[in-house]
Amino acid sequence: MSAPVSSIREPLINGGKTYHQITEDICSPTEKTPSTAWVIAFIIAVAGLAFYVFCVAWTVWVGIGSWDLNRTIGWGWDITNFVWWVGIGHAGTLISAILLLFRQKWRTGVNRAAEAMTIFAVMCAGQFPLIHMGRLWLGFFIFPYPNTRGPLWVNFNSPLLWDVFAISTYFTVSLLFWYTGLVPDFATVRDRAKGVRRKIYNFLSFGWTGSAKHWQRWESLSLVLAGLATPLVLSVHTIVSFDFATSVIPGWHTTIFPPYFVAGAIFSGFAMVQTLMLMTRKVLKLEEYITLAHIESMNKVILATGTIVGVAYLTELFIAWYSGYIYEQYAFYNRVLGPYWWSYVGMMSCNVLSPQLFWSRKIRRSIWWTFLMSIFVNIGMWFERFVIIATTLARDYLPSSWSYYTPTWVEIGLFVGTLGLFFTLYLIFSRVAPTVAAAEIKSILKTSGDQYTGPNAEKHSHAEAH
Amino acid sequence: MNQFVLEAKHRTLLLTGVGIGVLCLVLTFLGDDELHTRFWSNYLHNTVFFLGIAFMAVFVQSAFITAWAGWYTSFKRVWEAASTFLVPALILMIPIIAGLWGHFHHLYHWADAESVANDPVLQGKSSFLNTSWYTFGTLIIVGTWIFFGYKLRSLSLQEDKMAQTADFKIHKQVRIWAAAFLPIAGFSSAAVIWQWVMSVDAHWYSTLFAWYTAVSWFVSLMALTILCLIFMKGKGYFESVTDEHMHDLGKYLFAFSIFWTYLWFSQFMLIWYANVGEETVYFQTRMEQYPVLFYGNLLLNFITPFFVLMRNDTKRKYGTLAFVSITVLIGHWWDFFQMIKPGVLHTAHEVMAHGHGAEGGHHAAGFLMGFTIPGLLEIGTFIGFLSGFILYFFSQLAKEPLHPTNDPYIEESLHHHV
Repeated sequence: MSAPVSSIREPLINGGKTYHQITEDICSPTEKTPSTAWVIAFIIAVAGLAFYVFCVAWTVWVGIGSWDLNRTIGWGWDITNFVWWVGIGHAGTLISAILLLFRQKWRTGVNRAAEAMTIFAVMCAGQFPLIHMGRLWLGFFIFPYPNTRGPLWVNFNSPLLWDVFAISTYFTVSLLFWYTGLVPDFATVRDRAKGVRRKIYNFLSFGWTGSAKHWQRWESLSLVLAGLATPLVLSVHTIVSFDFATSVIPGWHTTIFPPYFVAGAIFSGFAMVQTLMLMTRKVLKLEEYITLAHIESMNKVILATGTIVGVAYLTELFIAWYSGYIYEQYAFYNRVLGPYWWSYVGMMSCNVLSPQLFWSRKIRRSIWWTFLMSIFVNIGMWFERFVIIATTLARDYLPSSWSYYTPTWVEIGLFVGTLGLFFTLYLIFSRVAPTVAAAEIKSILKTSGDQYTGPNAEKHSHAEAH
Repeated sequence: MNQFVLEAKHRTLLLTGVGIGVLCLVLTFLGDDELHTRFWSNYLHNTVFFLGIAFMAVFVQSAFITAWAGWYTSFKRVWEAASTFLVPALILMIPIIAGLWGHFHHLYHWADAESVANDPVLQGKSSFLNTSWYTFGTLIIVGTWIFFGYKLRSLSLQEDKMAQTADFKIHKQVRIWAAAFLPIAGFSSAAVIWQWVMSVDAHWYSTLFAWYTAVSWFVSLMALTILCLIFMKGKGYFESVTDEHMHDLGKYLFAFSIFWTYLWFSQFMLIWYANVGEETVYFQTRMEQYPVLFYGNLLLNFITPFFVLMRNDTKRKYGTLAFVSITVLIGHWWDFFQMIKPGVLHTAHEVMAHGHGAEGGHHAAGFLMGFTIPGLLEIGTFIGFLSGFILYFFSQLAKEPLHPTNDPYIEESLHHHV
């Protein structure tokens, strides 16, 4: 007997599903030929990926000179994109680990796809620190190893190096977490498959039989990984924020950066989850598993984190004035009213003002509004990183070296190209793996299925009584 | 037992505690320096600490209601009652506000006209750091908190008395008030924390400070909640609050102690690493002149809860839970002590030096009881404020039934298991 659930809560699985129907609905997209929509999307995504490869080759062949960086603005779109992608890569592990700790049942509908998204986003992020070196083949210099370079070591005092460790650890744990969750679902797919396909899924599921011992070990491993992942969610963006905040550059050196970056990362991660889930649920017909209740909950998270970010923006502005430190005051004056004022306006309106629409329940539960807002937030969070990086660098301590920066086609191509990489990976994922965690959905059916809770449940129990 | 009754012997004990507090404040005042620095800083320290705990009680309720949390419902009356302490806390702020107008204390450097006249940094801040802002900011913001705390509590009590309807009318109203309070709390708490606490070091600034301080209050509230529940369960109340609820409260205490440490570290490390003189001076002073406060802070608020509460069973045993709760409650009181005392002492030296040449204020103080470490008088004052808080809180709790019969989540809370 499961614990009672208040009737004020909404059901999280609609359509009066049985366990078998859940298996059918979730596994079948991996068994059919892809729809036209999927094929068109895949062609576009692969084209983007191809363009990405071209732009990377161009950058390596021509050199970093093919970008429009100058001696004042040494970080432009590259690091902006890096931070943007890392931020997006926060939602998956937050949903898996932290919402698990808070026992939020709605996480089961979206965790699988969000974790996959996390992994792909971190992969996209990882490209930029490497590409921006210009000489990709020297990328191994970032690893501390006993080397042939004599006493030359990486700089352990640099947050840029801490980033290498933080992101690779985060990537590893997120990947393990995601894959662990997939094992029983792969086994389900295997049980329905034949021939080579069956062999492949058997290999992928490590020969899972579903014995009690398997489940017990699986639960223990999930718990250990959740424990490891929770501090990692905070640490990754904290250390990314250290890249800026440990400096003495006005506008970068501010103590609120670590928690504010984490809040911003969760904010942008959820926006990207919304973008993807709204499309996925439509294309794969998963509306009964990713319900309006899920969408509304995520919109509430977006509203909350957007407002936290808003508090942080205003705190920064206020304390810049309050500090009485003229360089800090000027940095923020420049941010708001300087040559890049448009990016500050973009950031403020997309990140702080527009999410306030989600105070309306109607808008929170509207698919179209949600989709529009999720795109807005994605744009706004990109602007945020651009504001922090380019605006601050454009006006440094020496007015003689002040400059302005606009990207070249190569830099734009690299960004657009990583979108291609991201969607290529996500589209492949949606074909080969169950995009909703079937085993976890089944675990909440008896408490959150609409035949057990909510308005339909009453009819159901009434019918049973007869 | 659904109706809490404060026993006479407990009332006497708490009143004795209040008496000790008053006595200690009087003794502090009599044995103080010419500006009564120790007296006023003790008064500010304890007032702000307990005011913040009451504020957090409103905030936690709002956050939990907005997140549709059900598990805490069976003891939610504890937080409803704790939030009412905002009223006496605001009254306790009045002597501090009056002192700014009447110049009978010197807690804040920016309130000293002579200092401001010779100090361009303080002049630059004077449109925020001034007596009017402090007065009306405090009254309006704490007044707003009182209003929301009252709203949440009265709706919750009203829900009990009315028959539960299928559309959960009252609970839906509660949700609106709770959600509306969250952004208000986010902005307003920062404003008053800057005024009350950060501005005792009037030159110094840190963007993270408001969040750091707020989390300190949050952990203190969790510790007090656990202690209160353990005490009341011992008396036979709150039978429906089980080890499962205590386990979850223990998790909150554990997780937010780590979160506090995360914020502490972020603030400290970034300032230490960048080493900008205007900012570093804050930690420089504390590490060199107040090492007991500085390192003790970490011992009490991080090392103890981290190692004791790491295991599962220590979050379910009353002994270990009570031990950690007492430690971190004292620990966060200690944290506020180290936030407030060095700045106030520095201001006092500056003010006293006005007649003795400009350099007078800058000499480092040697060991000074009540500043370098808390002395017996500080402990007595703490006991006084704590007793006052608990006495008021218990008297509010005794006014209403403990069990929220009609809360839509009550069944979930009664059958809560982790």
